[in-house]
Amino acid sequence: MERSSPLSPDEATSRLRAQFGADIVDAAEQHGHTVVTVTRERYHDVCRFVRDEPEFACDYADFTSGVDWGEERGFEVVTHLFSTTHHHNVRVKVVVPYDDAVVPTVSDLWATCDWHERETAEMFGIRFLGHPQPVKLLLSEPFDGHPLRKDFALMTREAKPWPGAVEGEEDEE
Amino acid sequence: MGLITEKTSLPRIQTVKFILNWGRRYSLWVMNFGLACCAIEFIAASTAKNDFIRLGVIPTAHGPRQADLLVVAGTLTDKMAPALKRVYEQMPDPKYVISFGSCSNCGGPYWDSYSVTKGVDQIVPIDVYVPGCPPRPEALLHGIIELQRKIKDEDIAEKFGGTVQPAVS
Repeated sequence: MERSSPLSPDEATSRLRAQFGADIVDAAEQHGHTVVTVTRERYHDVCRFVRDEPEFACDYADFTSGVDWGEERGFEVVTHLFSTTHHHNVRVKVVVPYDDAVVPTVSDLWATCDWHERETAEMFGIRFLGHPQPVKLLLSEPFDGHPLRKDFALMTREAKPWPGAVEGEEDEE
Repeated sequence: MGLITEKTSLPRIQTVKFILNWGRRYSLWVMNFGLACCAIEFIAASTAKNDFIRLGVIPTAHGPRQADLLVVAGTLTDKMAPALKRVYEQMPDPKYVISFGSCSNCGGPYWDSYSVTKGVDQIVPIDVYVPGCPPRPEALLHGIIELQRKIKDEDIAEKFGGTVQPAVS
């Protein structure tokens, strides 16, 4: 069995920068995890590299999800990866424009991402290019809209203010 | 329901009605439509400490077709709603429904959710509402007693007299 040798976030970042250069847009450390933002064009390549390279060996995809940063910053797609050999975490992020929310799928690399991408697609309206089954996962078929977008209107709240508000807090919203 | 007709004398009707309702209210086969944490309270109510079997409620009917009482315990989503409707329609008459917990009463903490049905009474008729989040097992016992009180005064002929369909020949 391969020896466990976790990469520190600094090591992992420099290793990825050496491989992908300017396509690693941003890198950071959060809670001891490596967090890299990559371009949409190389997202799939970075994921494949992180999976197949023995130093990384991220064979386990924890989740894929999205973040709505508004119309100016667009959407962020986050894929959290883990290595059962080295016990290190790598988060790969892609930022896509609000009106062109298309990301290549990584469900061919980790089967886990299949359902996670379907959920992200229905919740945020992000399209995953090359996904084998791009249909809704959790929402009912006639459901209209993307509930986790910030501009999704909750009709009940339109009709009635939040009943749990205490005095002084009401002005915040 | 052919026991009671227009020709039956009144004292006899009262006796038959009493016996019929007495039998029905103490042999409620229950179907647990457990959707969330409330279902755990339902299970607690069926076990030794609270023991709703002493009220004649028999847990785990073999299926909706064998059940008299449906307890909707938990959060019903719009996607699940057709399944609840189907289970309800499979149950033979006379049937009763208890809405157990805030979620099934009105949506509860998910009152503004995009996916939760705000009130099971939009899907099936409810006989007794049990409030709480989740209600204690004792609350379910109280709800069952309320339902039994309701069954006691029920007139089967009145309830079903007008809806009997002629057999297709």
